[in-house]
Amino acid sequence: MMRGMSLLALVLVAASGYALSRIFLGYPRPPSRLVSLSRAELAVVDAAAETLFPAGGPIPWSGRDAGTAAFVDAYVAAVPRNLRILMRMLFLLVEHATVLFPAPGGLLGGGMRRFSALSFEQRVAALGGWERSTLFARRLVFTSLRAILTMGYLSSPAVLRVLGLAPREIPTPICEADLLYPRVGTLPSTIALRAKDLTPPSDGTPLGPTGPVRADYAERVQA
Amino acid sequence: MSARLSPGEVRVFAQYRGDFREDEADVAVVGSGPGGAVVAKELAEAGKRVVLLEEGPPLTPQDYEWDGARSMTRTLREAGLRVTRGYVMPTMQAICLGGGSLVNSAICPRAPDFTLERWCTEFELAHTTLAELKPHYASVEEFLGIAPTPENVQGARNLLFKRGCDALGYSSEPIPRNVRGCRGSGECFTGCRSRAKQSMDISYVPAALRAGARVLTSVQVQQVVSEGNRAHAVVGQVVAPFTGHRSHRFEVRAKVIVLAAGCMATPVLLQRSGNLANRSGQVGENLQFHPGVAIQGIFPERTDPQFGATQGYQSLHFLRQGFKLETLWAPPGVLAVRTPGFGQALKNRLAEIPYSATWDAISSCHRSLGTVRARRRTLDPVLHWQLDEHDLPILQHALWTLAEIFFAAGARKILPAVRGVADELHSLEQAEPLRSKGLRPRDLVCGGNHVFSTARMHGDPRRGVVDEYGKCHDLENLWIADTSVFPQSPSVNPMLTCMALAHRTAHAVAERV
Repeated sequence: MMRGMSLLALVLVAASGYALSRIFLGYPRPPSRLVSLSRAELAVVDAAAETLFPAGGPIPWSGRDAGTAAFVDAYVAAVPRNLRILMRMLFLLVEHATVLFPAPGGLLGGGMRRFSALSFEQRVAALGGWERSTLFARRLVFTSLRAILTMGYLSSPAVLRVLGLAPREIPTPICEADLLYPRVGTLPSTIALRAKDLTPPSDGTPLGPTGPVRADYAERVQA
Repeated sequence: MSARLSPGEVRVFAQYRGDFREDEADVAVVGSGPGGAVVAKELAEAGKRVVLLEEGPPLTPQDYEWDGARSMTRTLREAGLRVTRGYVMPTMQAICLGGGSLVNSAICPRAPDFTLERWCTEFELAHTTLAELKPHYASVEEFLGIAPTPENVQGARNLLFKRGCDALGYSSEPIPRNVRGCRGSGECFTGCRSRAKQSMDISYVPAALRAGARVLTSVQVQQVVSEGNRAHAVVGQVVAPFTGHRSHRFEVRAKVIVLAAGCMATPVLLQRSGNLANRSGQVGENLQFHPGVAIQGIFPERTDPQFGATQGYQSLHFLRQGFKLETLWAPPGVLAVRTPGFGQALKNRLAEIPYSATWDAISSCHRSLGTVRARRRTLDPVLHWQLDEHDLPILQHALWTLAEIFFAAGARKILPAVRGVADELHSLEQAEPLRSKGLRPRDLVCGGNHVFSTARMHGDPRRGVVDEYGKCHDLENLWIADTSVFPQSPSVNPMLTCMALAHRTAHAVAERV
């Protein structure tokens, strides 16, 4: 009886140790200070971005090149707390669900490692499993992850330039409202514009692809 | 302490230093979207002392974010990620001066005659026919310069829609919009940098200020204070822009209170105010949307879809069958979340965006109803809604029709985003499952466009919250002026009808104060 209890305790300790090390240990130091994500969350987002948007093809930039993980880090910080929690749970679910839905290779072939530790081919298979699942909830996890990362990928100036989708310079006319409202977070006394500064309204000249790209999306801006 | 608001003054977050009270208003208007802004301007011009309260901040063009995801975290409640429960469907509510008008695509059609007639018949209304609303529609249209989208800013993606409709004999027309000098930047959803869109913050609110209205921004009204059958004040807290952190408390006392907080917030406000104005039991009931479906089509030639009016063309051909067709553009990252697949297949599809057009259908699903309920410690609502299986054929018909128009316009393939149907369809024959397959609600990716009816008007006080002028049946001086008063879907985009009804409400209030 005592021997059985000891064995059970040993198994529990070993399982707890494995779970804790799986959740917390072995993640690389992030390249820059994180705003909202943990190292583990950054790792899974980065791995998923690389899998969803691999390098090459008509858009040369990969999800990693495009800075998708950095976008997600900032995005998660900007959403309300309850959604922030849900998003972080989503990332951790994808990271550790390989225990329930192993990637090719299974236990011995490393298919049950964390998602971020899988090989590229294994990650492709793992995400494919989420995408094609007959369970609505699993498909919802995949579409949620893809939605967040797609928004991140297509926020990259380099990706947008390749697609010809980067915003164009548009001169903004100064109208009555600009004399009434200060920029968010500032006092009305910071409004420097006066009635004499009002400009004619937009003349309706159509914009087109030949116009100059907005400065913050222009060529010199990194991916 | 007293707020000491001056006529024509706008107060912003950085100015609040402590708790405050304003107790000399004739009218307090809660919400500065299309309903509230119209009421504030009309009443201020009628000589009433108006205080307009808005939870969001005023946004200047320097505050706009072109990137869709970042923009949504700033301009929409719950970062634009609000979804319904039951049938999971995204829906949005703005939080900024001007409300939804700052981040919508300016579509302003009148409700069709047959819809207003149905409202009158089914909801015992005597004065809500098109003829009765005509002067109110006309006033708003003139003030905002509402006119059909000119051809020179349509862009290829809008004109291809017209080509497809023409080929099939379906009627189509340029969308009437509240814009002046549109350049076709396609940036309606993130704030118009051309200042062409006549959103409330640059049109009705400045006019209200000129007429002496006071505007409090970054203030969240949390409760309507009432006694017996009279409302006395609104109370709440100052909230920080973008983070929503609450601080100082305030109270605004007024002879009349007009709620225009939007179809999802107005019922929550009433529920949190002791279930106010709800003898009928209809507050928060009858939640209706215009569920929308969309298809992306890929053309042989470049369409450069980011150029051209965001939504420039529409077809009302199928309005009586329950749906309206429109062209659509949105920030690329937001539009692409529906793109199927991953890996190189996904990237190849993203690379086709410059050759694409996206068209959508909004549907009047009268049988698909839901509820709005208050959630603890927040004004964000819990939305329960179900897509009724009898409304599903309307959406399926709309999808099939969009496929027809795409191929008639010369598309080489379409991406229908329907589960159980191939990711890409290369001909109308291949698209046949969109017409014939037995679809289930969860097979569709629907968007919850436009919201109605959660404080509906009804001639019978036992079956509605307000009368047809927007006055609550239960209280002498509480009015509602947003789309929650619509008895049903208006069949088309609701903003102009909301403003026309608000215009009428304002004049009814003016007669009584």
